[in-house]
Amino acid sequence: MKTSSKKLSRNLFIASFIIPTFLFFCLFTVYPVIQALQKSMYDWSGMSENSKFIGFDNFKDMFNDPIIWTAIGNDYFLVVGKVIGIMLLATFFAVALTRFRLRSAGFFRAIFFIPNVISVVVIGVLWNFIYNPQIGFLNAFLALFTGSKVDITWLGFPKHTIWMLLPPTIWAGIGFYMILMIAAIVNIPASYYEAANIDGAGQWSQFRNITMPLIWEQIKVSIINIVITTLNGSFVIVQLMTNGGQPDNTTHVMGSYLYRMAFQQYHFGYGAAIGVAILIISLITTLILQRIMRQETIEMH
Amino acid sequence: MAIKNPLAKLIIWVVLLIWGIAVIYPLLWTLLDALKNNEQFFLNMPWALPKFPLLWSNFSYVWTKYNFSTYFLNSIVVTVGSTLLGMILSAMTAYILARYEFKGSNVLFTIYVASMMIPFALALIPLFFLLNDLHLVNTWLGLILVYAALNLPFGIFLLVGFYKSLPKEIEEAAIIDGTSHYGTFFRVMLPLSQPGLITVMITNMLNNWNEYFLGVVLTNEPTKYTLPIGLAVMQAEMQYRVEWGPLFAGLLITTLPTLMIYIIFQRQIASGITAGAVK
Repeated sequence: MKTSSKKLSRNLFIASFIIPTFLFFCLFTVYPVIQALQKSMYDWSGMSENSKFIGFDNFKDMFNDPIIWTAIGNDYFLVVGKVIGIMLLATFFAVALTRFRLRSAGFFRAIFFIPNVISVVVIGVLWNFIYNPQIGFLNAFLALFTGSKVDITWLGFPKHTIWMLLPPTIWAGIGFYMILMIAAIVNIPASYYEAANIDGAGQWSQFRNITMPLIWEQIKVSIINIVITTLNGSFVIVQLMTNGGQPDNTTHVMGSYLYRMAFQQYHFGYGAAIGVAILIISLITTLILQRIMRQETIEMH
Repeated sequence: MAIKNPLAKLIIWVVLLIWGIAVIYPLLWTLLDALKNNEQFFLNMPWALPKFPLLWSNFSYVWTKYNFSTYFLNSIVVTVGSTLLGMILSAMTAYILARYEFKGSNVLFTIYVASMMIPFALALIPLFFLLNDLHLVNTWLGLILVYAALNLPFGIFLLVGFYKSLPKEIEEAAIIDGTSHYGTFFRVMLPLSQPGLITVMITNMLNNWNEYFLGVVLTNEPTKYTLPIGLAVMQAEMQYRVEWGPLFAGLLITTLPTLMIYIIFQRQIASGITAGAVK
């Protein structure tokens, strides 16, 4: 009798701690996700009475929508550019600030992380000013060398304006991944490096043979994290810097096109389908990357 | 081992210095330019020091005329509310998942962790209509609930690890003393998990303060904007009304709180990153 009442009170305790969170999670995460999957098959302008089931027609439309392909291309351009730019610099900084025994390493580490605590909106505004054709920093700086006024419209090239979004996103991203890699490098036992020193191995060979293999796990996590956050969150920088896809819809990413379609043109069904496409594309990309990077670990050993 | 080759050392130092300047310098001229008038902007020397008298009035100007006082209040309420709600909900679940075994506990943990992989752009449209149906669009509560839900997976993930690392003896002693399950959690375990809670709190606070994507969809009345949304709207208006000094003042008002949090809680932020990345 006593044990069963004990058990009851234990179960009640568990339930009272698990269920509120789970209901909350279901309402604000699970339910919207399921709704999105469902609504992606509807022609839907936002009013419930104007909602018509059309199967996979939204996805078929997507295949014939040139802007979607531009957007996917831009998303991948940012993914590749960010992975290369961020990983190279973040790894270099992480190694330089740990293995090279520099004085003031702590100072640099603290400084380098600052862009990561700033809102993407602020970063967008800041870089808009750098690129501003009339009073911007970049043109004024170039004018110092040319001696005459420079007025390049950095965010208005008919093609390739998406390139201009790469510096701000790399600038903003490095600190986070640098910290991640620093933590991994600090955890490598010093004896490994001491042994390498005795063998006369130089910095580069130590990096290749000790540091790289032992932080590979973190590098993998970082790359996948960059992929997911880029596919998911490039919307903000596009919205802020190129007015949501300008010039001429050449700088759209999937997120900004979703926003345009749903909340400015009221094609909510089509918007939901774009959301599903973002999910599918990021899952596939993650899976492929995990496969590729797993093989590389095996080769290294 | 320290670098011995002086040339290599020099190159490394130069690269570090350049990047340091690239990070710090834009923030520095944000401050300088926040004190200028339009005339000084059109001199085309963004690096020039502002002329006297310094226009500190730019700050009071955005604060009142551009409603940054309202945005600031909204940001504070939404950030504090969502961070606390998310923290309580995730701490309760994390404690159970770390310490009590029951059918499905592993599945539950996996669901929460896996949900970190879902791009929230997917949920954007349904969330808007859900909040619309609940009459929570353009309310503090709406943003608080959505942001708290967004914070849950990370909080649960980090705190499960933290509770698992605490010694079991402490709880066992409390239970032998006749403390109830609730008493053990609230009086013993919750205070003990303070370091983990602070890491979760700071990480989520920064995220919630800086959030834009959901905020811009879930609010459309200027009286309910948070700072990032207000700043974005103000910058869009610059096409018609050029007020650069005030724009930079607004930018600083948005950024200063997070910079202060960063300076105070540097270590917790770093541990949040390393813990979150093991997933």
